[in-house]
Parts: sequence; structure tokens; C-alpha cells
Amino acid sequence: MLLLAFALSYLAMLVLCLNRARHRGALLPANTRLPGRPAMWLLACCLFGVALWLCAQSQGGQIGVVVWLCLVMLAGVLLVLLLAWHSRLALTMAPLLMIGGGLGLL
Amino acid sequence: MKLRQSMAGLHTWGGLLPSWLLYVIIFAGTVACFDKELSRWMRPALHQDTVSTLSADAVRGWLQQNVSDELHAFWMHGPTIREPYWRLGWEVDGTETFHNVAFDPRSTQPLPMAETVGGDFFFKLHYNLHAGDVGMYIVGLAGMFMLVALVSGVIIHRRIFKDFFTLRPKANGQRAWLDAHNLFGVVGFPFHLVLAYTGVAIFVASYMPAAAQVSYSDNVMQYFGEVMGAYHRDENHRPAALPTSLDALITESRRQWGGGEVGWVSVHHPGDSSAVVDVRRWDGSRIGPPQNTLTYDATTGELLNRQDASTGYRAYSWLAGLHMAQFGGTLVRLLYLLMGLCGCAMLVGGVQVWLAKRELGGDRSVTWVRTFNAAVFAGLPLASLALLWGNRLIPATMAERAAAEGWVFVLAWLVVGIWAVLQRERSGRLLRDLLLMGAALALGLPVLNALTTDGHLASSLSRGDWALASVDVFLIVAGLLSAACAWRFGGAVARRAAANRPNRAQEA
Repeated sequence: MLLLAFALSYLAMLVLCLNRARHRGALLPANTRLPGRPAMWLLACCLFGVALWLCAQSQGGQIGVVVWLCLVMLAGVLLVLLLAWHSRLALTMAPLLMIGGGLGLL
Repeated sequence: MKLRQSMAGLHTWGGLLPSWLLYVIIFAGTVACFDKELSRWMRPALHQDTVSTLSADAVRGWLQQNVSDELHAFWMHGPTIREPYWRLGWEVDGTETFHNVAFDPRSTQPLPMAETVGGDFFFKLHYNLHAGDVGMYIVGLAGMFMLVALVSGVIIHRRIFKDFFTLRPKANGQRAWLDAHNLFGVVGFPFHLVLAYTGVAIFVASYMPAAAQVSYSDNVMQYFGEVMGAYHRDENHRPAALPTSLDALITESRRQWGGGEVGWVSVHHPGDSSAVVDVRRWDGSRIGPPQNTLTYDATTGELLNRQDASTGYRAYSWLAGLHMAQFGGTLVRLLYLLMGLCGCAMLVGGVQVWLAKRELGGDRSVTWVRTFNAAVFAGLPLASLALLWGNRLIPATMAERAAAEGWVFVLAWLVVGIWAVLQRERSGRLLRDLLLMGAALALGLPVLNALTTDGHLASSLSRGDWALASVDVFLIVAGLLSAACAWRFGGAVARRAAANRPNRAQEA
């Protein structure tokens, strides 16, 4: 459940990252159409929210918030490190983590 | 604009000067996340994961037989999953020094294990640098500087959101290091802020003692007792009858809590008719430790008091609990460890920005800051590894063994410091050599562990004893990373040297 929360946090960070023209250009082909910025923000917030809910389910309210915050921060660090050294992996990491998290849930 | 400029100066100097001290504090705190696992690794008697079968009364019996001084108090903690052995501590009346013993879990009689500083060494280094109250104040001051640096850092950072995901390792030195400093500072900001704040808050009563001293006319212990809702009975210097069974009191406390776990059990002025037994509850499932200690009469076993902590104290213990990460199990400690490493990376990045900015100007201070970097940023991890080597190589029978381990740590650090000073003009080579040294020390430890104990990595892994195996695994990973970095930096240094040679030839 926590791996899935981490995957969702990573995905949310990725969505926020794609909101920046500089990173969008580096990660996606030039003609890719993405939803507008407010929609991306909303999507990221929803993903963060679901991750928080999963953490709270798994660890209880108080500890869940602490764990969630740490996962969000680490997801951010992982994404930036991948962007800097293996930018291709930055996109593929999201589905990989989601699959891992989904399998973990089963 | 003016505010930003003034904050820039504050962030630069208020960040640089305490940064080495903060690195020591954060690094030690990060290691201390797994202090108990490290303690187990450092005590070969605990490598087989045997849970102690001793009773609390047997532990007290050992104390009565072996320590004849009059005691102010003694305290003990029973076996837990992370620490499967009995621990005992005592304070001789009027000395204010603590003595500690841990008992071999394999023995059916109380048998003290070989002395070691254990993982506690890092915990103590984290909160008082092994320098008592003075150290505690220094750490507090550093913590406040960290808060100042964090807030001023946010003010001077022009593009927090725009550059949130930006890291350009191939950019020029200053740009790349600033990106790294920003990444670990901004992304890890909530963690750094909360930990710096709660860290300072833990000793708030010592940092701001005036109100308590005035209101309680210098009797600060009374203030603490009232705030915590603890029970206190003055010593009356009359010998007590035979004390009641501690095991019975522990069982009774469990019953009172509806099956809760028991933490520390302490006895104040034992042997006196005023003696009381405090049984603390332990609960790792919540952030703030439960404040419902039960106090019994040590002779009759009568329940004297149920702790009723004030709301303020509960809030305080919640903040302290948030800092100490004794909740949420291995997961939370692992997350704190990773975030702590991010904190170390932030500090290293910040000092490198300072250096890169001044390097081109040929400033003389640059060499010394760089030397200090090598001595502290590399010296502390190397000294920590040397401590573990000392732990394995110092004979188990040696007197004052724990102190000897401490000396190994200090001397190793001193050696690295001197090495850094001597090699200050060749920083690239020095860094590579230090990294190689780190790799050798870290990779050698699992081997040394296998040679000197029967708790080697293969055996702990085959038993599924991850707590013990994690130390060896961590050392191997750290050693390999260190070796990989040494190899990379070695290549970079060689390339730079090769590039410089034709230039010099041209100049000549």
C-alpha cells in the first residue's frame, strides 16, 4: 500500500514537472498535447490526496501524515535525480512504480 | 529587494559557519535512526537473536550483589524486539554520573556483556556532542542557526517553484552546486524545518529556564515533576523492609493498561523506606509516548500515583516524539534516515556553492574552507567507520573498553584532519584518497565481522534477521558507492591534470 502511495506521489511530482515548459520539452516530443496547467495542478493534488489517504489507511492518521510527507519529499528527490542523469527513465519509472505498488497491494 | 539582500548575507554566513557543526549533528542523528541495530551489531553476544529469559528481580539482584554504594536511583529495561536483552543503569547518590550495563541474553544468570559505546554513541553525539550541558547548548544554538538559514533561504530563493525540479550537474560548478543545494533544501524543506524546530524544542526548558527558575525558586525538578504529573516522595533516610517483586509490579502494570507494553522501570532511592517504583508504558504505535506511568511503593507494592500529564506536556512530548522517530517501526526510521542524508547533502551543497563562488577570485580562505570540508564532511564518516573497526579489534576483556572505542573515533578523526591539512593544495587527489579509504574501511567491516563473530551476513540473512543484516548491507552499499565515486573523481582529476600540462608548457 505504501509503495503505491510512493508511486502516486511520484506520478503527482511528474505531473507538476510536466507543467514546466523546460522539463516538458525534455521529456515529451514537441507536439504532445497535455491538459492545461490548472487541470494538471488539480490532477497532481488529487494524486497527492489519494497517496495521503493510502498512508493514513496503512499507518493511521498521525503517523500516516508523517510517512506521506516523507514519501512525497523522497519522490521529488528521486524524480529530480532521474531527470538529471537518466531523463528517459523519469517517465518510465512512473508506470513501473505503479505496477509494483499494484502488485504489492495484491 | 533590500530584505532579500540582507537575508542573502545572513544565509551565506549564518549558513556557512555552523554548517560543519550542523553536519556533525545531522549525520550523527541520521546514523542514530538505527542506533539499536548498530548496538546489536557492536555486541557479538547479540548476533544469534536469542531473547533474554532473565527476570527484573534477577537484574535487581545483580545490582544488589555488585554495587554496594548508596544509590540515588536505578532503572532497567526489559527485552524488546530491537533490543532482546536487559539493560540496567544506576546513579550513585551525590555523583550525578550514570553507570550502564547490558546483560547477555544467552545466559540464564545476569552476566554483563563486554562494554561498548554502542549505537548510543551517535545518539549522544547528535544531542550534546559528548560534551554534557555545554554541548547541549552548542547543539541548540546550531539548531537555531539552522532555522534561521532555512527561513532566510526561502526568502532569498527567487525561483522556488520555477526551479523546483531543476538539477544541472553538467553546468558550471556554482550553478550545479546551487541546484543541488536547492534541490535537497527545497524538496526536503518540510523535514528540515520540522526536525530543526522539534530538535530545539526538546531542550526548550533548558534554553529558556528563567520562568521556571523564578516561579519554582530554583527547584527546577519540582517544575518538571508538576508539568509531567509525576509522583515524588522525599527521602526520609529510614531503611526499608524487603522490597516487593518488580516482576509482580510489571505484571500488574500490564493489567492496568489492558495489555500495554512496559518500557523503563525505575526505582528512586532504593533501600530507603520512601523508595518508589515507576513503571513507564511503551507504545510505538503513536507519535507522542503515552504519559501514563504508574508509581508504586517499593516495599508494599501499593499503587501511589497514575501519571496525569498536563496538556502542555502532552503537546511537548508529541513534538519530541516526532523528532525521535520511535513510532511507526523500521519504515519511519528508514524514511528519516533517507531524509537525514538529504540534509547532509544540502549542507555539503551549500558550502560548495560558497566555495565555487570564490574559487575564481583566488581567495586564500578558499583553501582553508576546502580543508575544513575534507576534515569534517569526510572525516566524520571515516571516524565512524574506524569506531566500528575499533569495536571489533579491541579485546573484549579490556578495561574501560567503551572509552577506548571513543578514543579510536577521536584519533581517526584527528588523523583525517591532519591529512586534510597536509594535502590542502591537492584537494582533488585528497578527495579521491579519502573516498578510497572510506570504501576500504566500509567494505572491510563485513569481512572483519565474519572473521571475529559467528553473526556474519550469510548467517543473519539465512535466519531472516534483517535488523542485524541491514548494518552489513548498508556498509557494503556505502563502500561500493564510495569506491565508484573515487573512481569517477580519480578520472576527473587525471583529466584536469592532463589538460593543465599543455597550458603550463605554453606558459613556459
